[in-house]
Amino acid sequence: MRTASNRISPYLYLIPSLIFLVAFTYYPIFSSIYISLHEWNLFTREPLFVGFENYRLMADDPVFWRVVRNTLVYVAGTIPITMAIALILAILLNERLGWLRGVYRVTAFYPTMIPMAAAAMLWVWLLNPGIGLINHYLAELGVPRIEWLYDMNWALPAIMLTAIWKNFGYFMLIYLAGLQNLPGELYEAASLEGAGFGQKVWYITLPLLAPTSIFVLVVGVITSFNVFDLVHLMTQGGPGNRTNVMVYYIYQHAFRFADYGMGATLTVVFVAAILLVIVAIMGFMERRTYYEV
Amino acid sequence: MRSSPRTLHWALHRLGLNRLLLHMFLLVVATLTAAPYFWALSTSLKQRRDVFTAVPQWFPPSPTLQNYVDLFAMAPFGLFLINSILVVSGILVVQLITAPLAAYVFSRMRFPGSGFLFALFLIQMMMPIHAVVVPNYLTMNTLGLLDTRVAMMLPFWASGYAVFLLRQAFRQVPRDFEDAALIDGCSGLRFLWNVLIPLAKPTVIAFSLISVVTHWNDFLWPLIVTDTPGVRTLTIGLAMFVQQESGADWPVLMAGTIFVTMPLLILFLAFQRKFIESFMFAGLKG
Repeated sequence: MRTASNRISPYLYLIPSLIFLVAFTYYPIFSSIYISLHEWNLFTREPLFVGFENYRLMADDPVFWRVVRNTLVYVAGTIPITMAIALILAILLNERLGWLRGVYRVTAFYPTMIPMAAAAMLWVWLLNPGIGLINHYLAELGVPRIEWLYDMNWALPAIMLTAIWKNFGYFMLIYLAGLQNLPGELYEAASLEGAGFGQKVWYITLPLLAPTSIFVLVVGVITSFNVFDLVHLMTQGGPGNRTNVMVYYIYQHAFRFADYGMGATLTVVFVAAILLVIVAIMGFMERRTYYEV
Repeated sequence: MRSSPRTLHWALHRLGLNRLLLHMFLLVVATLTAAPYFWALSTSLKQRRDVFTAVPQWFPPSPTLQNYVDLFAMAPFGLFLINSILVVSGILVVQLITAPLAAYVFSRMRFPGSGFLFALFLIQMMMPIHAVVVPNYLTMNTLGLLDTRVAMMLPFWASGYAVFLLRQAFRQVPRDFEDAALIDGCSGLRFLWNVLIPLAKPTVIAFSLISVVTHWNDFLWPLIVTDTPGVRTLTIGLAMFVQQESGADWPVLMAGTIFVTMPLLILFLAFQRKFIESFMFAGLKG
């Protein structure tokens, strides 16, 4: 049965995917590295080889370090909070709740269905300093007016709040899926031993959900490293670069300043960082996870 | 006077105090989550004079659709809607051709380099398109595809995620099926089309829904490669409209925002169970 066509066919079936995979995922990585070694902007007719000059310029630029900091604050701030809310709600929704469970699930999940761009607009309106709903209710509680997206210190937290609202429902759903796969016998045994709700959560649910948490963490970290839409629509990186994040900074250089050399340099650094984070999370969790579901 | 504590006592007894507290907590969370959208919807149905009031009006006192009429007069949102539909279905249709072919190979065949090639797909699954928009933009420029709908679709025509999900599903199909099919003269592509894909239907549906939601919501890539309203999708149309308005015509801005979200939300509410199952299922497999 083994004929020549049998031996070639696997590659034939892969070709359609591989064309696009290579052209838009792998070629760009190498071409970024190549372009990053060149000066290529509005003032250069053609890419001009400059070695590591772009990398030196990047490292000397205080804005770059501000952007790195903002991105890390955004990731480190949104992911743990989003995961905690998602986990708590998933555990609660896994209780017997009757028909209301469906209502809770839909209300938590609907923000996943709307574009980030639309979410940004909803919150720009809510956070409007003068006539926004949030400042109105805060004023009733006696809190002085906050300028939110126009305030150096509040702008990034305001964007983070929007991201948490947008994402917790999706994380919650993944946790719910994880919970449904946990073995019921363990809980029965624990009940027989007289374990309470809290003990069951702490000693059974949380450890068994570790693989789910890793999945949520990886997805969460990668998507939040890539935050762009919110920044573009809510603050344009301002005020004073306080909300400028990595992808927005790349966008600014390449598409606002038409500086492809620097855009590519930042791309290389960014891709390297993402790959590093993925490997780090995987490696760290590998050692800490004792349970397989 | 004494009936109300007694009713409460009865309710507590009936439900259990814990359960009642649980429901109260969840209702608060649900209300807070729903409020931003409800507020925008309400704003979009208000007349201008009802927007700027000292006390927030949660329900429009005299509801109107005028803001939506104005919206359509100011920017071609109908065209944006058609573009979104074209781009999203153009991506999905090609993904549903390329991905099963690759998944079939990885689930059923052994050949030199299969491990390496599969790794290429897995890494793509984690590598976000956002990271490489600059070189991809330059590629589109070279191909002369800037400002076209095709440019918005091309980078997504290979999906590591779809290949991964489908491979898992195809592997569940027992070998015997393939042997039996072979005896009937059904092999290769025909086996894939007639046996594997129908058996993997839940995965195909789950992936399709996720793909549609993801690309309906795409922003950065379409923003970069489009230049004229004729090809813009809803999300980009909204962003441009916001910039063009720049002022504070909140009822119309909210009408635009609501319009952009409506198609998917209506689908979601109509096929809730399928959507939620699909997103759960995909999370589980990942």
